[in-house]
Amino acid sequence: MAKAELKSNKKTEIEDSSSLKGTLASVFFLGIFIVVTWVSVYFLFLDRF
Amino acid sequence: MSSQTAKLKVDPRDGKLAMAHFYVAFIALALGGLMGLLQTLVRSGKFELPWGIDYYQILTVHGVLMGLVLTTFFIMGFQYAAVSRTAGTHSPAARRIGWIGFWVMTVGTIMAATMVLLKEASVLYTFYAPLKAHWIFYLGMTFVVVGSWLDGAAQIMTYAKWRKENPGKPSPLLSFMAVINTVLWIVATLGVASTVLFQLLPWSLGLVDTVDVLISRTLFWYFGHPLVYFWLLPAYMCWYAIVPKIIGGKIFSDSLARLSFILFLLFSIPVGFHHQLMEPGIDPAWKFLQVVLTFMVIIPSLMTAFSLFATFERFGRSKGATGLFGWFKVLPWNDARFTVPFIGMASFIPAGAGGIINASNQMNQVVHNTIWVTGHFHLTAATSVVLTFFGISYWLVPHLTGRKLTKAMNKLGIIQGWVWFIGMVFMSGAMHFQGLLGGPRRSAFSTYGDAAQAAEWIPYQIAQAVGGSILFLGIILMIIIFVNLAFFAPKGEEEFPVGEAENLEEKAPMIFENWKLWLGITAALILFAYTIPFIDMIQNAPPGSPGFKTWNSW
Ligand code: HEM
Ligand SMILES: [Cu+2]
Repeated sequence: MAKAELKSNKKTEIEDSSSLKGTLASVFFLGIFIVVTWVSVYFLFLDRF
Repeated sequence: MSSQTAKLKVDPRDGKLAMAHFYVAFIALALGGLMGLLQTLVRSGKFELPWGIDYYQILTVHGVLMGLVLTTFFIMGFQYAAVSRTAGTHSPAARRIGWIGFWVMTVGTIMAATMVLLKEASVLYTFYAPLKAHWIFYLGMTFVVVGSWLDGAAQIMTYAKWRKENPGKPSPLLSFMAVINTVLWIVATLGVASTVLFQLLPWSLGLVDTVDVLISRTLFWYFGHPLVYFWLLPAYMCWYAIVPKIIGGKIFSDSLARLSFILFLLFSIPVGFHHQLMEPGIDPAWKFLQVVLTFMVIIPSLMTAFSLFATFERFGRSKGATGLFGWFKVLPWNDARFTVPFIGMASFIPAGAGGIINASNQMNQVVHNTIWVTGHFHLTAATSVVLTFFGISYWLVPHLTGRKLTKAMNKLGIIQGWVWFIGMVFMSGAMHFQGLLGGPRRSAFSTYGDAAQAAEWIPYQIAQAVGGSILFLGIILMIIIFVNLAFFAPKGEEEFPVGEAENLEEKAPMIFENWKLWLGITAALILFAYTIPFIDMIQNAPPGSPGFKTWNSW
């Protein structure tokens, strides 16, 4: 019994509720989006001028 | 800061003045929206305006009503209510000044509108010289600006009263933000007021024959860029300080919010040259300096993005959401007060990315005066800002009129938000692509005598007409909701949501309220960015220009 409990305890790897990793991923996505749009217009610029 | 000593309800006497502003704002929305629809139809090449109505006339009506009237009236009404809610009911003196401001703005709007309808002022909402309007148009615009100063003075008076009664305490966040935006507006409008009073009015009255176009445009853009931040900051007030309460979460950081507002005050004014990058007569070195200052505005923008994501994630995790993006799903998507401003926030991602491209000095050549620019500000102003204003109206209008947002109206509100979004994807998306292919903005022509290049643009212009029609449907829905909430919704109590910071022990540093310091730095940056170029412009002035009237009279 005790053994089983220990096992299940181990499994409930609690996610830190103060984690901001979703925020980190979101701002990275935002940054990449800005860079990609900027670079595409930059190449258009190089192509034309 | 946490102790809500102020009343939870906006005093009805203050509510009345805020509502007066909203009536004008939503009338402007309805009329301006109709013009927008007509513009997209004309530009598609499939439709001509009847009765000798001129394209540039309706474009002026659209730009003035949407860009200047809707925004200024809504913002002043909202901020007036927000200060009343968080810093306490306005004094009778402040309220009287607010009412005078409202009427001065309204009379000015009527003066300007009359001249546009009489075809005496088809000068577009930027009214650049040497296009010349009737003097009553300029005087009307002056009234709008002076009226808004009075409106702002009322807010500042109530803020000052709160500070006096609560020495040593940071002011309520929403009041602080409203005052920052008011100060930004006052400093910015000094530019447009100077060109109107000292150049355009004497010239249109015939007191002088010519106008210095370069100075006039420079003064306009000294005002024109902070103008867009004047539109945006009230939306940020909602995102930072109101949306957290609506979703049941907390403001990520009160101090971060204040700091970002201060950075907007500092860096949104000394940057007007980024609208004049293609213009002769300004030293490229000074243009570059202002480009650098423009890029500083990215800092508070990204601070805002971070802190909003963080608010949402922390709320989601407190509700038990797990995984990288689990928090996203638990947000209250069936609450129009959240969803509609959220669509606005999401639209700010492509809007901001486009803005960085516009401001990138030489790259401005790719997009300058193309309809890409129009696509850009229909994302920033006409989506991010306007949808947030709609989201605010869903609770603020019933709060002020003693009614309730019913389930049916909430649902219609969400539908409205998505209709707007879809319409804008078509219209603004097509504008961006057509602009990259060189399609011009502000042009009544669509086929250009069957030129091959113009033929490339036609499909995009048809997409804009489709988008414009969907958007017009969105405007009809919004007007229905507004009229319902103002006059017909069942009586009841609707909350004015005011968020609380997560960490209440963390008191905002008092340096944020040190106006001498921030106004001093603002002035120093402006003087630094503009003094030498201005001297240069005056010493090497271009010849003065007579006025031009490029449109037909009735
Ligand atoms: C039904 C919704 C709307 C439609 C169909 C629409 C359509 C258009 C179109 C086609 C133009 C460009 C015309 C040209 O350059 O020749 C335009 C310009 C403009 N729009 Fe809108 N728009 C809508 C809503 C809004 C809103 C809500 C705002 C502001 C908050 C706004 C602000 C402006 C401004 C400031 C201009 C620039 C006028 C100028 O270049 O002088 N529009 N609109
Ligand atoms: Cu700008």
